[in-house]
Amino acid sequence: MKNTLKIIAISFTLLLGASTYINAHHAFTAEFDPNAPINITGKVIKVEWINPHAWVHVEVKEAGKTTVWMVEGGTPNTLIRNGINKKTITPGTVIVVRGYQSKGKLCLPRCIANGRDVTFPDGSKVFMGSSGTGAPRDGSDPRERR
Amino acid sequence: MNKSLLILFTVIALVGGLNAEEWTQSKTWFGDPDLQGTWTNASLTNLERPDYYDTLIVSEEEARTTLRMSEEFSESVDNPYEEGESPQAGDNVGGYNVAWMDPGTDLFKLDGEYRSSILTYPEDGKLPRRYIRWGLEAYGMYRMFAVADHPEERSLGERCLVGFGSSGGPPMLNVLYNNNYQIVQSPGYVMILVEMNHDARIIRLESNHNPDNMKPWLGDSVGAWEGNTLVVRTKNHHPQQKFRAGIRHQILVMEGAEIIERFTRTEENEILYQFEVDDDKAYKDTWRGEMPLRAADGEIYEYACHEGNYAMANILAGARAEERK
Repeated sequence: MKNTLKIIAISFTLLLGASTYINAHHAFTAEFDPNAPINITGKVIKVEWINPHAWVHVEVKEAGKTTVWMVEGGTPNTLIRNGINKKTITPGTVIVVRGYQSKGKLCLPRCIANGRDVTFPDGSKVFMGSSGTGAPRDGSDPRERR
Repeated sequence: MNKSLLILFTVIALVGGLNAEEWTQSKTWFGDPDLQGTWTNASLTNLERPDYYDTLIVSEEEARTTLRMSEEFSESVDNPYEEGESPQAGDNVGGYNVAWMDPGTDLFKLDGEYRSSILTYPEDGKLPRRYIRWGLEAYGMYRMFAVADHPEERSLGERCLVGFGSSGGPPMLNVLYNNNYQIVQSPGYVMILVEMNHDARIIRLESNHNPDNMKPWLGDSVGAWEGNTLVVRTKNHHPQQKFRAGIRHQILVMEGAEIIERFTRTEENEILYQFEVDDDKAYKDTWRGEMPLRAADGEIYEYACHEGNYAMANILAGARAEERK
């Protein structure tokens, strides 16, 4: 019995640890459908700089049909502290979003997706990275702490 | 003594005096040591020591290795697809870009040395868990992530009540982002605003604990000054806050746990934060840790979590969509 509980506890802890890296504010797997991948290109029409997640609204035109997607991002706090603000991504910017659609697919009022990978059409990132997140530590980033 | 020697000695004395000048703790207008400001505990150092480290103190080279591993992992998360490639059905849905995260940029240093864990005791850098208790509590946590009949069943973080893991504490531990705290003092009180998810710890100074049936989300904290150190004792932890899980740490804090924290400003831009957790229901031994709270740039952006919490509605809608299948 004791060993069984230990195995359950360890398994649960490992599972939780493995799954929460990208979960952050919430369980993404509860919100998004792993069987509904998306790869969309569209024009930004609105950015909501709100907590706990910022949302980028993208207008996608395909086969004569226009669909508006709300793409979930992270917290605005981090970007603002990095000097990235509302002027960094503005309405009219074209972006490519690769990720997964929400489990609820009513698209009312808008379709919902997570922005697992958000780039400009030329492949560059929509939001610049920062040291500790892939960028080199060259001293130019004030967040490079002692 | 000739004139040249006199000038030389004077210069040496002045330089020596400047070097000897140490930072002194400033006081608030009401005389308490001043801890006020915006602070961050963002760091690549986690609560528990990774298995690839044997010691608490690690070398510069080992610290660089950690940074490189973090960067490589972040890069793989940040851009998982080749140009033109699409996500595959059945894969992990993932999260959002790493650019939205702020876990820290290095292992933190104390006394000029890199640390491999926040934990200082037990000496192996691992929590002395009682696995039977953890096993008994696991199902309750599983339900928080697996059931979505009502908002009340979801995790406290998703409900915008408290932050993830033990961000709000006590003990206050680093998480994936929003590792910022604002300390404000007034006569008889110290308030710590925890950025994630906009919780405020209100520490009453020279006060008794509230009755045991009162269990605030972040526990009942009272404090006192020991010299320039603020000593905070917390008990009566909220029963729904006992399992605090995030990527950086997973801890269990039972209602009867007693936690002591110590805040000592060691220099203008740093507070030494130390804690001790005594919880014999969940742990075989006391555990202790320490880390720096470093001065943060800028202020905390308002975390109006409830107002913008589309995710909760989407999670519930997702559960209803699953039911219709």
